[in-house]
Amino acid sequence: MQSRPRVVVTGIGVVTSVGIGVDAFWRAILAGECGIGPVESFDTSRYSVHIGGEVRNFDPRGFVERLQPNGMARASQLAIAAARLALADAGLDAALLAPTTTGVSMGTTSGEPSMIERFDDREMAGSRDAIGAEFIEQYPCHVLAAHVASELGFAGPNIVIPTACAAGNYALAHAADNIRDGEADVMLAGGSDAFSRITYTGFARLGAIAPQRCQPFDKNRKGMVPGEGAAILVLEQRDRALARGARVYAELVGYGLTCDANHMTAPQGDGAARAMQIAMADAGVRPEQIGYISAHGTGTAVNDRVETAAVKQAFGDAAYQVPMSSIKSMLGHTMGAASAIEAAACTLAVRDDRLPPTIHYETADAECDLDYVPNHARQASVELAMNNAYAFGGNNASVIFRKHRP
Amino acid sequence: MTSRRPVVVTGAGAICALGDRPAAIHSALCDGTSGFATPTIIPADASGGAVVAEVPGFNAQSYFASGNVRPLDRTGRLALVAVERTLQSSDWTLQRRAATPLGLILGTMFCSVRTIGEFDRRAQQAGPEYASPLDFSNTVLNAAAGQVAIWEKLRGINTTVSTGAVSSLDAMGYAARMIRGGRADALLAGGAEELCYESFHGARQAGRLAPPDGHAVRPFDSARAGTALGEGAAFFAFEAEAAARARGATIVARVAGCGSAYDPNCKSANPGCGSGAVAAAIERALKDAELAGADVGFVVASAGGSPTLDQREGVGIAAALGAHIPVTTIKSLLGDTLGASGALQAICAIESLRTGRLPGVAGLSRLDPAIAIDATAETRAIQARHALVTAVAPEGNCAAILFSLA
Repeated sequence: MQSRPRVVVTGIGVVTSVGIGVDAFWRAILAGECGIGPVESFDTSRYSVHIGGEVRNFDPRGFVERLQPNGMARASQLAIAAARLALADAGLDAALLAPTTTGVSMGTTSGEPSMIERFDDREMAGSRDAIGAEFIEQYPCHVLAAHVASELGFAGPNIVIPTACAAGNYALAHAADNIRDGEADVMLAGGSDAFSRITYTGFARLGAIAPQRCQPFDKNRKGMVPGEGAAILVLEQRDRALARGARVYAELVGYGLTCDANHMTAPQGDGAARAMQIAMADAGVRPEQIGYISAHGTGTAVNDRVETAAVKQAFGDAAYQVPMSSIKSMLGHTMGAASAIEAAACTLAVRDDRLPPTIHYETADAECDLDYVPNHARQASVELAMNNAYAFGGNNASVIFRKHRP
Repeated sequence: MTSRRPVVVTGAGAICALGDRPAAIHSALCDGTSGFATPTIIPADASGGAVVAEVPGFNAQSYFASGNVRPLDRTGRLALVAVERTLQSSDWTLQRRAATPLGLILGTMFCSVRTIGEFDRRAQQAGPEYASPLDFSNTVLNAAAGQVAIWEKLRGINTTVSTGAVSSLDAMGYAARMIRGGRADALLAGGAEELCYESFHGARQAGRLAPPDGHAVRPFDSARAGTALGEGAAFFAFEAEAAARARGATIVARVAGCGSAYDPNCKSANPGCGSGAVAAAIERALKDAELAGADVGFVVASAGGSPTLDQREGVGIAAALGAHIPVTTIKSLLGDTLGASGALQAICAIESLRTGRLPGVAGLSRLDPAIAIDATAETRAIQARHALVTAVAPEGNCAAILFSLA
């Protein structure tokens, strides 16, 4: 019935606080390792909270080759690293890909916040004239996709979709459409965000940051933890991938996008449920077929409660049968990168029939009464995995991956 | 060739320095009315004597009988006014939106870098506890799309697209593909950008602004020496033709085809880069529309006086369509509105198709001999069925959209 090209995931590149590269990342996630620690990138002494999920010991010089590493800010460096890791994982050589049918689709919450922070530092110091061309050249968020494509020489579709904390899923969905519509054969799609004092300040002022750890769905959860990272998935036209003998992680079979149109920062639930339902209809699957949900699961009181209710609305009785975990318990909330990193976890879960845990889960909450895969990874058959992401602005995105059978 | 759903335009709304109605803006462009004036938004000690194209006396509240626009920043308010006008013009009433979720695809380069910068400086100077949580919700790059969705109850697909100065054209292309692909029957698509100190100072420090003496902005002219910034927003109601006809909507124009391209060599400052990508974007739009270059009556380009970008765009247009294609621009009268520009150019293109009047290129006195196109300062009569809108960004992004008479 489907004459349009199918889209498969053939490579994963991740740069996270628990590991760089897909093997290190997946090993740490299944082991329940936590990447959250004291914030080191700026002074938090004036804040009442002090922890974050920063990527330590990241050296862009190992990844940024064609462009100048110091000619771009951190989110671009993280993105290029994820892109190179993803291509290597897919067994693809950038120089051998057809430039015009290879593209980049990136999600982000903040783009390159360090550039406006530097602007502000100079402005506040009274040295306005010291702000140079680098602000306009390196700050606007579209540089993320531009830097990745320029580094690798890709002339195909090139876009940044800055839909905040759901951006990775939006970027993946768009890239899949680029392939289905015949505009590209290979898309590098995902998200990137750098640790930022602006983001940290904002969530601190919302009272949303947990003081010690991130405990999604736990009765005593105290909030989210800002983090950083990047993930890029190589999406490939299925026939092309099979023809070259590529190893396929999973197939991207559907997505759903909706808007709450209700509140800028508080999730409402109905929009999230509609996104899940649209994604399942798009994929042609029923709730009871979904074997794993990667939750948005930030660890705030309201998100986890509303998200749980939304899954029940979309899944009905099947909600109680579907394991759903949040790897934000280990990474914190990596903003626009989060759903891209979680998409990587979904494709790995589908490939390996292994479910990542929600760590720091201790006390059941009557309002969060689903199976959150507490504390330990689990072996379970996963034919289909759903990746859920929600954002400021009421932006909701669900993406579904299916186990691939040649 | 798969059968596709034709996409039509059923309404439009816009606001910029030249007015807040498409017909009035087009008329002002045809009359050569300048929107430039001494800035009121930019501190006098930072303007360097430059002129800008602000929306004079902008008061979003005056457009609404009830509700409070205070939660929206300037970009959000510009977007809101243009969206409100689009909803009125396309007759997408509140009742219709309640029955059928309507989505919003918003292109922007910065969303509000003013909101972001002020939030950060407040936290740094007074302490994080003095930063406003309300302002924080507007620091995300999808804030305008989210705020407008709340105000107008837009529950459908809500996506922010950022590709620099190409943002709103790419947003319109994204929307058209979504409708063709059956993911929505109707979407509002366009872009918004405010003028603010941060983006202005960044552009000025990078040498992108025309020197304040003499003639400010001279697109395609041998003596062009930079651009001047403006602000505004423009949106269209894009709709599947069958759905539009079924509800008895007025069909204003047809979205005949879209194309995008990227030149990965522009980030490494290759002076000859980009024109091939412009031509490729145009050729993709023509192919998408199943039209030939000779069918195109005129082009509304993004040229805004940049020594490099005007040449890149003009040479690319000539390569795709020949040297005799009439070309005009809008930025020498209403400024470079960055992420909103493509949508404002589309307003000009559709009104020019409908009225048979093509505005001249204000500020052009001697066409750069390196740019072989038909551009003239005089407004002219033109009979055409198909109009092309193009946009280029310094980083290498390009897009083209073809509109046809209904």
